[in-house]
Amino acid sequence: MSQAIANTKIKMTNISKIFETQELETHALRSIDLEINAGDYVSISGPSGCGKSTLLSILGLLDMPSGGEFYIEGVNVTDLSLDEAAEIRNSKIGFIFQSFNLIDELSVFDNVALPLRYSKDKLSDEAIKKRVNECLELVAMSHRVSHKPNQLSGGQQQRIAIARALVANPAILLVDEPTGNLDSKSGDQVMDVLEKLNESGTTICMVTHDPRYADMARTQLKLLDGAILTTPELKAAV
Amino acid sequence: MSQFIYQQKQAWASLKKNPGFVATVLATMGTTLGALLCILTLAYVLIAKPLPYPDQENLHLVVHHIGDSKGETNASSYTYPGLIHLYKNQTVYDESALIYYDQDVLTSVPSQPTLNTLYVTPKWFSLLNAQVHLGRTFEATEALDTNNPVAILSFNTWVDEFGSDTNILNEKVTFKGVSFNVVGVLKQSFIEPALSTIGLKSQVILPWDYNGMSERGRGSWGNINSNQKFIGKVKSALTLEQISQTLTPLVNDTWKEKVAGMAFFNGWNIEMKAVPFKKQILGDSTNTVYLLLAGVIGLVLIACANISNLFMSRTAEQQRQLSIHAAVGATKGKLFKAILSETGLLMCFSVVIALIIATVGFLVMQEFLSQRLPRVDELMINWVTLASAIAISLLFALFFAGLSSRMINYRALNLTLQSSGKGTGIQVSKNIRKFLIVSQVAVVTSLVFVNISLLKDSVKTINQDIGFHTDNLMYTTFSSAGATRPERDLRKQLMNEVREKLTALPQVEQVVQASSPLNGFNLWATTVVATNERLTPEVKHIDQNYFKMIGQNLIEGDLFTTADIKDENRVAIVNEAFANRISPSESVIGKQVSFGDEEHTTIIGIVKAVHIPGDINEPILRAYVPTSLAENAMILKLKPESVVSREQVVSVLQSVTSQYNIFEMESLDTQKAQLLFTQYTTAITSAVLAVITFFLATIGLYGILSYSTQMRRFEIGTRLAIGAKRFDLISLIINDNLSSIILGMILSLFVLVGLYLGFSEAFAAYINLSLLTLFVITVVLISLISLFACYWPLRPFINRPAIHSLRGSE
Repeated sequence: MSQAIANTKIKMTNISKIFETQELETHALRSIDLEINAGDYVSISGPSGCGKSTLLSILGLLDMPSGGEFYIEGVNVTDLSLDEAAEIRNSKIGFIFQSFNLIDELSVFDNVALPLRYSKDKLSDEAIKKRVNECLELVAMSHRVSHKPNQLSGGQQQRIAIARALVANPAILLVDEPTGNLDSKSGDQVMDVLEKLNESGTTICMVTHDPRYADMARTQLKLLDGAILTTPELKAAV
Repeated sequence: MSQFIYQQKQAWASLKKNPGFVATVLATMGTTLGALLCILTLAYVLIAKPLPYPDQENLHLVVHHIGDSKGETNASSYTYPGLIHLYKNQTVYDESALIYYDQDVLTSVPSQPTLNTLYVTPKWFSLLNAQVHLGRTFEATEALDTNNPVAILSFNTWVDEFGSDTNILNEKVTFKGVSFNVVGVLKQSFIEPALSTIGLKSQVILPWDYNGMSERGRGSWGNINSNQKFIGKVKSALTLEQISQTLTPLVNDTWKEKVAGMAFFNGWNIEMKAVPFKKQILGDSTNTVYLLLAGVIGLVLIACANISNLFMSRTAEQQRQLSIHAAVGATKGKLFKAILSETGLLMCFSVVIALIIATVGFLVMQEFLSQRLPRVDELMINWVTLASAIAISLLFALFFAGLSSRMINYRALNLTLQSSGKGTGIQVSKNIRKFLIVSQVAVVTSLVFVNISLLKDSVKTINQDIGFHTDNLMYTTFSSAGATRPERDLRKQLMNEVREKLTALPQVEQVVQASSPLNGFNLWATTVVATNERLTPEVKHIDQNYFKMIGQNLIEGDLFTTADIKDENRVAIVNEAFANRISPSESVIGKQVSFGDEEHTTIIGIVKAVHIPGDINEPILRAYVPTSLAENAMILKLKPESVVSREQVVSVLQSVTSQYNIFEMESLDTQKAQLLFTQYTTAITSAVLAVITFFLATIGLYGILSYSTQMRRFEIGTRLAIGAKRFDLISLIINDNLSSIILGMILSLFVLVGLYLGFSEAFAAYINLSLLTLFVITVVLISLISLFACYWPLRPFINRPAIHSLRGSE
């Protein structure tokens, strides 16, 4: 049992999300059950408005579910304060966004180092430098340390964003349409990087509507109208 | 033309959609520009506008400086015979006139009001171009030594006291028992030059011969009186220096001859100086005007920064509409014109509001500041106000339009459409934002600091212990109704009876015979007998109960006894400053002084010093001597919660004698409040200004930071996503703006030092260490609003789940 918990990175039970406006209740997610284990590569796909982004933001503690239970590495994160959520995001989750979301005023190095600056454990400058360079090496961007993001191509920017997501050794990488803003060649390069990371043990959960890239994941979830359509392999795994 | 009208219509339609924006711009620009126009007009009237008199640059007030060789005693008043000597013998001025300012009771009307009287020689009218509405001015028949009892009324006196009686030229007015035939009424438009007291308006003009100087005074070369003046129109070739060199020997030589027998005046000299009217009338009020201008320009700058920010936010909001205009072919110039139509309309309305506010401002200044600032009567909307209004509105319209249109990156506008609203065609550059914060903080810190300093200073004066109490005390002065006063013994008897009857009134607890402790001091030439030291202390006549009644404490020695008053004994009580001055080491009790006559006066007591509002800082030497029972000034102590009316005192007085009128009657509290008028006005004005400045600055800083926070929402979202806590983001925003805020504060220090260097004389009295504390308080207050402005716009991002900031970034 303890082995199972150690291996389970994400566990969601009966998660739902309802957006309420004055006249309307929209069920963005309905009773989602999801378990992601260490080393998994999960893709979530589905048509526009099926709830992919909502699910990803709840997975990343950017938003709160309306109901259900949610554990990250065995810790109940269903009901956290904003600051507690920030702390978990910082230590357990690495985000990769469609639009990269790098900060233009900061150099590549400082962008990658940013999560470490917000970390609960204050690292020495030396340790930060070491860790940032390691991560830049992983995405093959060590030669652009002091550039500003807007001096780089889209593919390069996304690789920097991946380095930033890795820097705090998160439990899981949450990836949102990583190739949406990229041409196909750069998109392929980024997907290669993600694949290599997964091969070396990184757990990844990716949202995409591109079937070609969804196929690269070992577990593929399809979402429709806020519910998971088929999870054959996942059920088999459990 | 039709294009112009079309654009105005479009601008109007566009503005109508955003009433909040329009209201903020109109309120802010309307009030601040109103204040600016008001002060600009004041500056014009005081500094540039010629005086309303013919050949005004050649009109002089001739001043008679009299003082000892050490420069310790100095006065600028004439001796009566010296003035007449000058008038009869000078050759510098083609035309000249004598003026004597006074107040007298008009006894020929039932209400017996006390009026400001002015005694002049005939040329006064032609020098000042004082024309009549009815009748005639003074002529040769009213010249010096003609003793022709005629009077000319001011227009307001004619209206207020005589109901604009068209038959007035057949009437008489009576002052001090003399009946004067009314021969004229001055025109309403006549403006009297304030040569003596700012804002003093003479109500009746009488021939010089009837002035209030006693027969003894008219021959005395040893007495000076500040009521009497000499004015003249100079032959234009002479410089002020030449005039002084010509007139000084004329007056000084004669005076020295006449006072040769008086030891007190050994080493004294008279110097004559010609002062141009303009300089005399303006005095040091130009400094006040420059300060007011600086203050109001500061306010306009703050308002301007705020409104710039509003316009920039509005342009940022309008980027989609502007893109569509660009897409269908609007050139950059066309876009500028469209924006200019909006800013032009707004500034036009603002200036209309500003002109209304300026007009109200003029009325307020005329109501409250006519005693403090010269020439406020001449304030009205004139061509300078209108020209400034038009220039200012054009300038601001162009400035705001230019600012807004500069933000538009015309190339990027097209991108905005192509990328369906994702582009950033319009953004306020980081440098402009920084500049706005720095300038805002600099101006607001300076203004708030100056205002808090002024507030603190006036509150300190208002709360200062004056050394005696004023509650339940009233003072009243009687003046003789006839041309000559009753004999001294009769006066004693009458005043004694009046005092007893007043004391018998049920509301009255006690009556003393003395003038108000807040005034009624005279400068006396005094010699310390032991050392022969000469001083000019302020001296007051009091009776034996004066100190006890007003609560001024005795420190050493004795108070006057009833016998001292009755026998008018040669004794004096001095204040601490006087005592320390003549005898710093040993007790002053028993020492003797001479007040200019043979008999010496012995000091019998020392009292605590009083601080009369308006006293300059250095300790004032004061002495008190026994009054005569003939004294016609009294202080009434009322029982708590009771009131005595002027009518009651009049009826008491009339039951005793018809030879006296009530000249003045006032409570000491009121008199004190009047003396503190400047402090009260300063306190209220500076407090209001500080609050307004603060308020404007808060709105301004909030606007700028709210805009820049809005621009950074995706960055904030990203930072939240990778684990930044709320505190991290608050410190981020604070850190980003800290340098601008600190720079602004440092800049304000330069502004303040610059102000100090520019106006060091005006500020010298205010500079001390406590200013440092005030500056720290100001800095803390500005820091607080800056923190507020940093934190408040962040709230919607950091107090909701991070997804709200990120949404829409995709």
